[in-house]
Amino acid sequence: MDAKRETPPAGRSRVLRLVVNGDLHEVLVTPRHTLLDVIRGELGLKGTKEGCTTGSCGVCTVHNDRGEAILSCLTPALEWDGESITTIEGLESGGRLAPIQQAFVEHHAVQCGYCTPGVIMSAQAILNATPEPAEADINDGLAGVICRCTGHIKVKEAVRNAWRYAGGAGPAPGGSHD
Amino acid sequence: MLLPDHEFLKPASLAEGLALLAAGPGARVLAGGTDVVFNMRGRLFTPPAVVSVRSLPELQGLHERPDGSLDIGAGCRLTDLLADPLLARHPALRTALRAVASRHVRNLATLGGNLCLDTRCWFTNQSEDWRAARGPCLKTGIDACHALHGSPVCVALNNADTPPALIALGATVTLASVRGERQVALRDFYRDDGIDHTVRQPDELLTRVIVPPTTDRVVFLKETARQGMDFAYGTIAARADGHGARAGRITLVLGSLTTAPVVLDAITTRLVADGLGDDAIDAACAGLRAALGPLTNLYSPAAYKRELARTLLRRALLALREM
Repeated sequence: MDAKRETPPAGRSRVLRLVVNGDLHEVLVTPRHTLLDVIRGELGLKGTKEGCTTGSCGVCTVHNDRGEAILSCLTPALEWDGESITTIEGLESGGRLAPIQQAFVEHHAVQCGYCTPGVIMSAQAILNATPEPAEADINDGLAGVICRCTGHIKVKEAVRNAWRYAGGAGPAPGGSHD
Repeated sequence: MLLPDHEFLKPASLAEGLALLAAGPGARVLAGGTDVVFNMRGRLFTPPAVVSVRSLPELQGLHERPDGSLDIGAGCRLTDLLADPLLARHPALRTALRAVASRHVRNLATLGGNLCLDTRCWFTNQSEDWRAARGPCLKTGIDACHALHGSPVCVALNNADTPPALIALGATVTLASVRGERQVALRDFYRDDGIDHTVRQPDELLTRVIVPPTTDRVVFLKETARQGMDFAYGTIAARADGHGARAGRITLVLGSLTTAPVVLDAITTRLVADGLGDDAIDAACAGLRAALGPLTNLYSPAAYKRELARTLLRRALLALREM
């Protein structure tokens, strides 16, 4: 990654205190780092992807402390000192996939997979805001993230059916594909 | 690619922030970051310092003043404004807010940031390498415009969605600096220069947006290449008092077609006299060419822009008539 190849001047380095997926991290960063650079380059959490880095594709999506989708490529890391974020790695609990992740598996809402972490974080943000999302909520929440392999049909199916995989009982019987 | 090197400054108060802006020539104001970080990544902005104002308490909050106007902090996120019940009285403004980019962006972006959104041009909103191959322009250092050959000024487009709606609503903005505070009507805030595209001085900070109360009919329309997230090919905000075809006062503002939002004064004078009948609407649309002046081919051909402006005007006036 470029963040590793380039060596920013150390003079402007500062300690960033950031809670990621519940764990407090203290990292030395410079004004040149975005939140995405820190997540991938400094913390080694490679689930969050780097795509366009211009705010168009959404594959760098993580959650702020309100569970809202934000673009980690468009925000300077130092802006997040003292804050708490969630990445794709923070969705599962105790080795069990979150309902939305299980729904993506069951509904084959993945093709090459590169956009999938960003799409799942966007989908989870929809569910955080509207546990029973209407079609308009799903479209609005997915508008900022782009799958270039295929389309959003399977993804939308997964979001609509995520509730079936809640409750910690694993996939619902029959794994509906409506 | 890392951002260009700069000093990152995060003042704790407005006074501290204004002092930093006064002290640091070329310092760039950063709020949500969705425009500034984009432009820094492309090296269009290489400021010596960035002053982060997102968390300034003086830029937060939305409240109603005794006279019924809304006093909106420029640092309010678009998402928070959309969720605020006080905004329910301005459905056209809500439409414009929701039209901005995607939820992902609106969860970071602020109202002040959208009002100050840098102008866009397909010759400058590119990577540094792409621009190097093409050569510089007015915005990036020399006396040449690739978009409109021979143009003495930068003709980049003002592509923000909220300005037309807020201009139609008669909003004013507060600009604060160490020199004091001033109020500017939003319709006077924008300049026909893609580089210095607002009247905000480098040491000034847009702190509040005041939206006066109204019972008028207001609509906002945005035309894009696709549904979902996109910059506009064109927008219109239209406002009228009265009912049906009768209106004593009309405001029409076109956005995204030019370097500054266009307030259509000459056309509205005739519409007020004639009313919103079919013939008057036809006449208004026919008069649009003169009102708009020369257009560029940026992002869409000039001929398309003219046709789109006519279509938006017709749709907006018909919508007002039905309200």
